[in-house]
Amino acid sequence: MQYQYNEEQSQFKDMLRKFVQDKYGYDCHLALCKSEQGYSEEHWQQFAELGLLGLPFSENVGGLGVDSGFLMAIAEEFGRGLVLEPYIATVVLAGGLLAKADNSDLSNVLLPKLVAGDLKLCLAWEERASRGNPLDVNATATRSHIGDNLLINGEKCVVLGASSADKLIVTAVAEDGGLNAYLIDCDAVGLHVQAQTLADGQRAGQIRFCNVEISADAALFSDGKAAATLQETLHEALLVMAADGLGAMDQLLALSLDYCKTRQQFGVPIATFQTLQHRLSDMMIACEKTRSLLWAAFQVQGSSEFGERVAMLKAQIGSAGRYVGQQAVQLHGGIGMTEELSVGAYFKRLTVLDLLCGNRDYQLNYLAQRQTQLTVDAA
Amino acid sequence: MLIEDQHSVEFRAEIRAFLDVAPSEEILEAGRKTTSVFAPFKETMAWHKILFRQGWVAPTWPLEYGGTGWTVEQRYIFAEECNRRGVPPLLPQNLQMVGPAVLGFGTQEQKEEFLPGMLSGEDFWCQGYSEPGAGSDLAALKCRADSDGDDYILNGSKTWTTYGHHANKMFALVRTSSAGKPQAGITFLLLDMNFPGIEVRPIVGLDGCPEQCEVFFSDVRVPKRNRIGEENKGWNVAKYVLEFERGGSSFGAWLVPALEKLRARSSLALDDSGRSVADDVHIQRRLTELEIDVRAVEHTEKRVNANLKHGENPGPMASLLKIISSEVMQKFSELQLDIVGLDALPLQTAALAVGSDIAGFGEESDMLVMPYYLNTRAASIYAGSNEVQRSLLAKAILAS
Ligand SMILES: Cc1cc2nc3c(=O)[nH]c(=O)nc-3n(C[C@H](O)[C@H](O)[C@H](O)COP(=O)(O)OP(=O)(O)OC[C@H]3O[C@@H](n4cnc5c(N)ncnc54)[C@H](O)[C@@H]3O)c2cc1C
Repeated sequence: MQYQYNEEQSQFKDMLRKFVQDKYGYDCHLALCKSEQGYSEEHWQQFAELGLLGLPFSENVGGLGVDSGFLMAIAEEFGRGLVLEPYIATVVLAGGLLAKADNSDLSNVLLPKLVAGDLKLCLAWEERASRGNPLDVNATATRSHIGDNLLINGEKCVVLGASSADKLIVTAVAEDGGLNAYLIDCDAVGLHVQAQTLADGQRAGQIRFCNVEISADAALFSDGKAAATLQETLHEALLVMAADGLGAMDQLLALSLDYCKTRQQFGVPIATFQTLQHRLSDMMIACEKTRSLLWAAFQVQGSSEFGERVAMLKAQIGSAGRYVGQQAVQLHGGIGMTEELSVGAYFKRLTVLDLLCGNRDYQLNYLAQRQTQLTVDAA
Repeated sequence: MLIEDQHSVEFRAEIRAFLDVAPSEEILEAGRKTTSVFAPFKETMAWHKILFRQGWVAPTWPLEYGGTGWTVEQRYIFAEECNRRGVPPLLPQNLQMVGPAVLGFGTQEQKEEFLPGMLSGEDFWCQGYSEPGAGSDLAALKCRADSDGDDYILNGSKTWTTYGHHANKMFALVRTSSAGKPQAGITFLLLDMNFPGIEVRPIVGLDGCPEQCEVFFSDVRVPKRNRIGEENKGWNVAKYVLEFERGGSSFGAWLVPALEKLRARSSLALDDSGRSVADDVHIQRRLTELEIDVRAVEHTEKRVNANLKHGENPGPMASLLKIISSEVMQKFSELQLDIVGLDALPLQTAALAVGSDIAGFGEESDMLVMPYYLNTRAASIYAGSNEVQRSLLAKAILAS
């Protein structure tokens, strides 16, 4: 049972921590938040050089084919360092789905470019009404009157990395009622991307599809496997996103411990006050429970239990992230409410993370329904 | 609430009739776009001036100094109607903070000089208490005022000064002596923000907007006649102001209609099928739990107010009210965030400025949810942090 990074993963993680510390001070984070693009293309190229963009992909597309422990390691360090580049959007979400697509013509051409840093993708799956459920899709793919072409219609919201992507993958319901995913150029006619800056500085987009015409071979899946594969990809992405959140939580705890030890009020460090000591303990407890559930999910990746454990993990990161974020601000007092310190930036990152890809309420419902279903099946 | 007596019904009607016509579009926009306890400055001061002309700006002040002579219930009704109409809440500094200090400790001359501008809104007074090293431990403040003939010479700095960049006046606690207990060497001073030697630096908050400021003083001359109360007795003035503030709070008047709006928001259709967030029983339960908390705040407030009328001091109930009202506001802000969900994620600071012609994404009310959530974290920090309030409460109940 793996409950921590193995030696190879740890070395890789240490290397990344140094990389992020060198390149990514809080000033850099703030500057990128306020920049037009929202991330640095230079950093992206360095990710490519370090091999980060190819980690999960097979060697025949230029990847390294390593397990998700490495992705978790990256995400933890990116969370700890407030990294803004659309890594999860491109590599884990869109790349992850593409790598599992039936349509190997597409993946064999696109993944090597992605790995080389020449192509950015995003995955447009969330809709206003879906509230976290990837199978609850209103967007449609219908036949056009030209040959085998298809018309995509619908709207997707808060698509991570949309404003920087060259191509996107959109989920839509085909005429036979089955779900599929389609690859589209971001400059396609009828496609409208409204760039958004999320509360934590991350970039996303609201995307409207008005009769966007694509050829039939833009479909990623051929035989109704799309739904299961999409869910699997999202589960993997949630594992990685939770690691990002955990990195942010760990850092908030470290910052709060430091602050309470150094900030003096009433002639003593505020860490002297028992109520704050207990608060710090509760923050630590929240971090450790999250870490346990992270590894618990990692262990069963690929098995039928994975979805359940990931849902538990996401629910946990929702509440624990909220608690740790709020309390870190509280312990910092007035300065915690400002942009002057990074505390607020972590708080906002955790706030956004909770709401993405199914918030705590969604995960609780998912788990409860699953449990009910199991009971029914058993009876 | 019980059926109102005829007198209250008429009073409510009178307030409502005025509120229906008095606020301009900009003022109402500022009311809608209020995402922290401090409403947008310009429009809120414009509203302050309108209320002044109506004679209703300072319900808590004595009648002879511009108060309204309303009962505690009438003040609550006024607050309820203001919230119903959606006008911005007045900034508390003039009327709840410095005003009472001058009323309680000022000389006749000082009252004549300073009160009219506070009341009319010609002046805006910022609160210069906190310093980098003196937050919860306010008595540790260091900003120094040295005596020099008829003046004090001020050196040091203040921080977290809300709307310091908009203010033309400041009331400050400064150190005039380091002998004895720290509380004993503090003096309450009034100053002009345009006195030479004052520098203001706005601080950007979590929502990307500057609201608080740092204020630096280098050799700022303040005439001694601007001192409120005696030298080294400023702590008493500050304590008196705190007591003046206690009681008469009306968070419930804000929370009750806000909860109604949130319920309505939760039942909006998500798509053509007509599904809504409120279909989720879990959300229903959370709304119901919140309602219980809101009602508890409302009725605790009203209970405290009712007793005050009989001359009772709220005592530890003031701490209790601060704690429960700030925490229910935070809980409200969280549930609102969960209900609005993805639509709350983009932080659209520019679109939320009053008078902005930037369209932004989605409904205006949804755009407010994230900044409101972020800013409401401050409610457990300012006005005596909730940790400090709990200690005060514990001390009071353990001593009794
Ligand atoms: C939005 C906002 C507006 C403000 N506006 C103004 C203004 O206009 N004018 C002004 O003068 N000030 C203003 N303040 C400052 C406010 O009064 C202080 O932030 C507050 O007093 C807390 O001080 P601090 O920020 O230095 O935190 P600290 O006092 O350093 O507190 C840090 C943490 O330690 C805890 N703590 C401190 N002492 C104890 C103790 N004895 N026991 C247990 N826990 C303790 C606190 O609860 C907090 O969690 C404002 C603050 C905010 C957030």
